[in-house]
Amino acid sequence: MKRNVILAALVCLTTFSCAKKSEDIKVGVYGPFSGGSAPMGVSMRNGVRIAVDEINAAGGVLGKKFVIVDRDDEAKNERGGQIMQELLDKENVVAVLGPANTGVANASTQYTQQKHIPQIVNVSAGAKVNEFFAASPENYIFRIAANDDVQSKVIVNQAIKRGAKKPALLCDDTNYGQNGREKMEAALAAAGVKPVYIGKFKLKDTDMTAQLQEAKAAGADVLLAYGIGPELAAVSNSMDRISWKVPMLGSWTLSMSNYTTNAGKNGNGTMMPQTFIETAAKSPKQLAFIKAYADKFKESPISSAVSAAQGYDSMYLLKMAIEQAGSTEGTKIRQALESLSAPYEGVTGSYTKPFSPTDHEATKEANVMLGLVQDGKIISSEK
Amino acid sequence: MTEVLQLIISGAIQGMIYALIAFGYNLTFSTSKTINFSLGQIVMLGGVVGYILYIDMTSGHLSGMPFIVPLLAVMVVGALAGAVVHKTAVEPSLKFKSEYTWILATLAVGIIIKNGVEQIWSTGDYKMLSPLGDEVIRFGGIGIYAQEILIVVVSLSIVCGVEIFKRRTIYGKAIQAVSEDKATASLMGIPEKFVITISFMMSACIAAIAGLLVAPLTFVAATMGTVLGIKAYSVSIIGGLESGFGPLVGGLILGISETLTARYISTGYKEMPGFIFLIVVILFKPNGLFGKKIIKKV
Repeated sequence: MKRNVILAALVCLTTFSCAKKSEDIKVGVYGPFSGGSAPMGVSMRNGVRIAVDEINAAGGVLGKKFVIVDRDDEAKNERGGQIMQELLDKENVVAVLGPANTGVANASTQYTQQKHIPQIVNVSAGAKVNEFFAASPENYIFRIAANDDVQSKVIVNQAIKRGAKKPALLCDDTNYGQNGREKMEAALAAAGVKPVYIGKFKLKDTDMTAQLQEAKAAGADVLLAYGIGPELAAVSNSMDRISWKVPMLGSWTLSMSNYTTNAGKNGNGTMMPQTFIETAAKSPKQLAFIKAYADKFKESPISSAVSAAQGYDSMYLLKMAIEQAGSTEGTKIRQALESLSAPYEGVTGSYTKPFSPTDHEATKEANVMLGLVQDGKIISSEK
Repeated sequence: MTEVLQLIISGAIQGMIYALIAFGYNLTFSTSKTINFSLGQIVMLGGVVGYILYIDMTSGHLSGMPFIVPLLAVMVVGALAGAVVHKTAVEPSLKFKSEYTWILATLAVGIIIKNGVEQIWSTGDYKMLSPLGDEVIRFGGIGIYAQEILIVVVSLSIVCGVEIFKRRTIYGKAIQAVSEDKATASLMGIPEKFVITISFMMSACIAAIAGLLVAPLTFVAATMGTVLGIKAYSVSIIGGLESGFGPLVGGLILGISETLTARYISTGYKEMPGFIFLIVVILFKPNGLFGKKIIKKV
């Protein structure tokens, strides 16, 4: 008898607490909050948090407040899948933002797709997005970030514009790096240029002397690199060691703090595509964002400003879609995202109808700026 | 020519680091016939403790402490870690008479150290500054970091120092006596248990110093010791677990073969020749290139 009473009480309690929680709109956020990719994940989450705080302070959406459910995927592919199932089945989120790593994204986006929950990829450049249309015309995956295709074109075009004729490619051996290598090779082929050297390195490698010597011996006049911060720093440091001085261009991750601090002066002059450059911020929206970030997280410059800005914008796009749909139902949010009627002035640029029913990529080549490392800071360079 | 020289020098320095850690494996093996598989994580512990004391984590600049402080702290932490590994993982396993529990027990301690550092400290990668500066010194076309010269000097002096200590002093001879025959040494009045504990402490202390030395060349991270520990172990096998100077030769072979393969064959096959050589050594000289033949009397 006594046990029944306790059970009944428990059931009441859980239903009550669930009922109370359902007044909030849950948004899943996942990314690498630890390890070599951490600056991307942490900055992105911070960007989302700023947006959520602003939205909630202004009264939320549909009379409800947003709540973030965040999970660390540790940049591990298998964690991505587990987290996504938890977010969808246990937490019942209405939408998902993230992740940062290509491998993680490709191991997890199938779940949002199956569950008909919209997901805005806000950092990963290599994740499959538009590729999903072929299999499912009702595609739930969106992106606001310069994808590998866009980045590779910017990198290759800039290298050629600066007079490079014999590029060497050096990429890490992850899905991300190898996807980038493929796209850069394609962009080079389209421009009629053949790379003189193609090499790779592993995560955690710190000595790139052997690869660079081979590239140097092949007569390369520019180095195109694709990887994440720590290893790209090792590339720059090893170039200094063998006193090989050619321009280096590469993936947007060259703006990560663990590249600029670890490469130090050897990083000077390195160029990369960027959707947001903190030192070049002009619009009131951008300046307000930087100030909010510095106030809230005591960090200036932001360790990965691009991720933070994209995180912030992805949250606002989601909010606008929910507002327009007047519902938190997955299918309706997707339809609203595909036909956003109001323009959005964001941190990474102005968007009018960023997505369409056939194109889920918000960031185009024209949105992308060129960043340049100068004494540990990223400044804007002429494109 | 300078290119080949540069590769050989880079490889040799990398090999010296392997050799120093391998020397640590050999120390405990010679006295207790066990291997401390958490040594790679103690290398990491040395790097992390040195970083915390020497660098201000938020700014990435020097914390202002003279280098001797982190050096001594790292040695103490290393020696303590060695004593703890011996007391908690090796001694109890040997008591149980089950011959190989210490393998799992020391591996487990290693995992605990790594997870502990990840939880308490950080999972990021950090740049350790060298006490000798981070500029490249050039000899002709060859670039070497001052830190790398330091690594070679310190490694050679530690290996030579310990070997002289073992051969020339009464305490060293006690260690050798234990490694020859535990029972007889004990009968002759040598505190066998104490000697084994000391060998664990010395071995871990050397590993921690190796971590501090290598930190400016790699990054400081909770993951920095794992691969080093595995490669140093194969260096131990190549050089011979019972040998004092064997690890130096083994280290050079592995280090130089890695850089030359990466350059002239493919970076993807970098580690292969070293490990093929390891298998060849195990097939034809199971006690290593410089190992003594162990005759087990039944």
